[in-house]
Amino acid sequence: MTVDAPPVMFPRKPKRITGKSIAVLTLLTMSALFFCIPLYVLVVTSFKDMDQIRDGAMFAMPTTWSLEAWRFAWFEACSGLSCDGLQAGFWNSVVILAPSLVASITLSMITGYALALWEVRWSGPFLFLLFLCAFVPFQIIMYPLIRLTVQMGIYGSITAIAFVHTVLAMPVLTLIFRNYYKDIPPELIKAAIMDSGSFWRIFVEIILPMSGNILIVVLIMQITSIWNDYLIGVTFGGLGTSPMTVHLANMVTVSTGTVSYNVNMAAALLTAIPPLVIYFVLGKFFVQGIAAGAIKG
Amino acid sequence: MIFYTKTLTAMLMLGVSAAAAQAEDLVIFQNWSSPAEVAALNVLKTAAAEKGINWIDITIPHDTGSSVSLMNLVVGEQPPHIFVENNTGVYRDLSGMNLGRDLTEAFTQSGAIDHFSAAVKKAITIDGEIRKIPLGVHIDGMLYYNMEVAAKAGVDPTTWTSLDAMFADFDKIRAAGFQPLAVGAQQWQIGYLFHAMMATLAGPEIYNQLYGETPDAAAIDTPEVRSVFTWLRKFQQQADEGSVNRDWNMTTNDVIAGKALMQIHGDWMKGEWRVAGKEAGKDFGCIPVPGYKAVPVTVDGWGALGGQPPEKDAAEMLFAQIVVDAKVNADFASVKGATPVRDDVDPATLDVCAQRVVELLKDEARQVNNPSVTVDADWSNAIWEVAFNFWSDPTMTEDAAIAALHGQFDTILN
Repeated sequence: MTVDAPPVMFPRKPKRITGKSIAVLTLLTMSALFFCIPLYVLVVTSFKDMDQIRDGAMFAMPTTWSLEAWRFAWFEACSGLSCDGLQAGFWNSVVILAPSLVASITLSMITGYALALWEVRWSGPFLFLLFLCAFVPFQIIMYPLIRLTVQMGIYGSITAIAFVHTVLAMPVLTLIFRNYYKDIPPELIKAAIMDSGSFWRIFVEIILPMSGNILIVVLIMQITSIWNDYLIGVTFGGLGTSPMTVHLANMVTVSTGTVSYNVNMAAALLTAIPPLVIYFVLGKFFVQGIAAGAIKG
Repeated sequence: MIFYTKTLTAMLMLGVSAAAAQAEDLVIFQNWSSPAEVAALNVLKTAAAEKGINWIDITIPHDTGSSVSLMNLVVGEQPPHIFVENNTGVYRDLSGMNLGRDLTEAFTQSGAIDHFSAAVKKAITIDGEIRKIPLGVHIDGMLYYNMEVAAKAGVDPTTWTSLDAMFADFDKIRAAGFQPLAVGAQQWQIGYLFHAMMATLAGPEIYNQLYGETPDAAAIDTPEVRSVFTWLRKFQQQADEGSVNRDWNMTTNDVIAGKALMQIHGDWMKGEWRVAGKEAGKDFGCIPVPGYKAVPVTVDGWGALGGQPPEKDAAEMLFAQIVVDAKVNADFASVKGATPVRDDVDPATLDVCAQRVVELLKDEARQVNNPSVTVDADWSNAIWEVAFNFWSDPTMTEDAAIAALHGQFDTILN
């Protein structure tokens, strides 16, 4: 980055309670409650037994705290005829996540790098096309994609799921990477080209080490979207590859049977935990990465 | 030497085909996952395994109606051999792709068809061909009541011969401190109550005019349809405060817990009673809606895939026979809480509620099918919407509801 003058400090105004700050606080409290109240019900219900749930009183604390619903959801709940709980789906999700993550990020990172720093013919129209593609809803191209994967001979496999995740994430991720790399000073790249000139060497030795922040951002985005995905997994997975979300949906979608609310809540929380963990672990970097993308250096 | 080689080859081939016959894989696409449903599926799976069919399960949840996931599998050239599907259009599409399988011959030859009731036959038949394997029967509108509450309130639901007689006892039930009728006011539940009342009050002729393949607008103006709305209003006025948007099973639990006397809903209610450890005929009673002219019947049915190699086709047909086998079907139904699709099962294997349903289904003139079998989904949804709006807005008159039905009819079907 360029060498800056000493940073200018803007002294903060002393805090005062004003009409504005009351309004902001009220709004923030309301939006926090908006998310926290359902979450509270979710959590306490998952620790109750069915007898207490049948009594109603959604907001009451559990009379006896029990982990039974959690154990049942993880080990024993049925998704169709297989009654191995969510754990089966959990491992499927992990197996889906790994290749989808690597393929989608690698591909769009390299594309973004090429578009930002190398002279690529038609790069303008190509970027515009990518931009357009970012707005195409998946449902519209679902059938063509199914036919395409059938022709490729991968329909009904993890490969197909990873392929579709990669294709669908390409436009947005490429734009993110491209815009991030665009801010790298051209002098740096010119010097690198003179020194080595190799597309791959510059990428591995210069660009990759500089990509930490943005990688974290994209990683979090992709982990969340791939982990929470239902439609792609259910559509392209075929036999025995249903992700955790499909197992969850099987457990909670009951037509004419009995609904075990405590197990459903525990299952929903279990499914949501992995992205949450990622947020907590990488959250600090996420904010840094977003800031790094937003402020031109 | 040549002779030996030939014999050896023949023996090998025989061995191979015997092994193939021993375990033929069938991919079965379904949407059941609740404990009772899974137990019922396992009855079928075990019975199929005994006959050399290996059940490969795909479970994808979806509501009744057409299944996008099924069509995706078909488009992806990996269609399942046996599949749950209600929508008639899907079966026609499959035929168009040479993937339809007519089961008429299979069920005629085995004689099973002679034991299916009229509603079952109608539900599994599409364009004159039997296309579905019937699994179990549910009545969409049965009256389940708590026998202890009935005793405390001093009423006997079995003596009610009409809705008026039932309604006349409401004050008495209230006076004893109980909610007479528990209702879950969600759109689909009111929709189900509506077609159950239509079967009860209007009978097969008008019901089939309204819910037939080509609905007849004249049915909307009949006094019977008006009376259905009148009764909906009475029930709504009697509903308790907690009824708004209450799930059917929570509603059932109000009856089980003795807060309310009864519920009119699909007889899958039995599952909740059983899970709560209650016994039919001892803790709870079940009767058709008093004064019923017809009972509305839901038949769970699965389709079979056509255009398959002979071994697969044979396995599919074998599976179809296993499902409707009198013994297997009775076991299946009892575990699921449904009623068998046949009229010749041993009554001793059924609880009193299922016995009652088998009796009801013997009367061919007094049964109608769940609208989803025949009716266009848009029209069926429109009726639900009108019924639910009517329920939710106490100021809406019968005239307004009838006008709304006409409006929807003109938009959707004209």
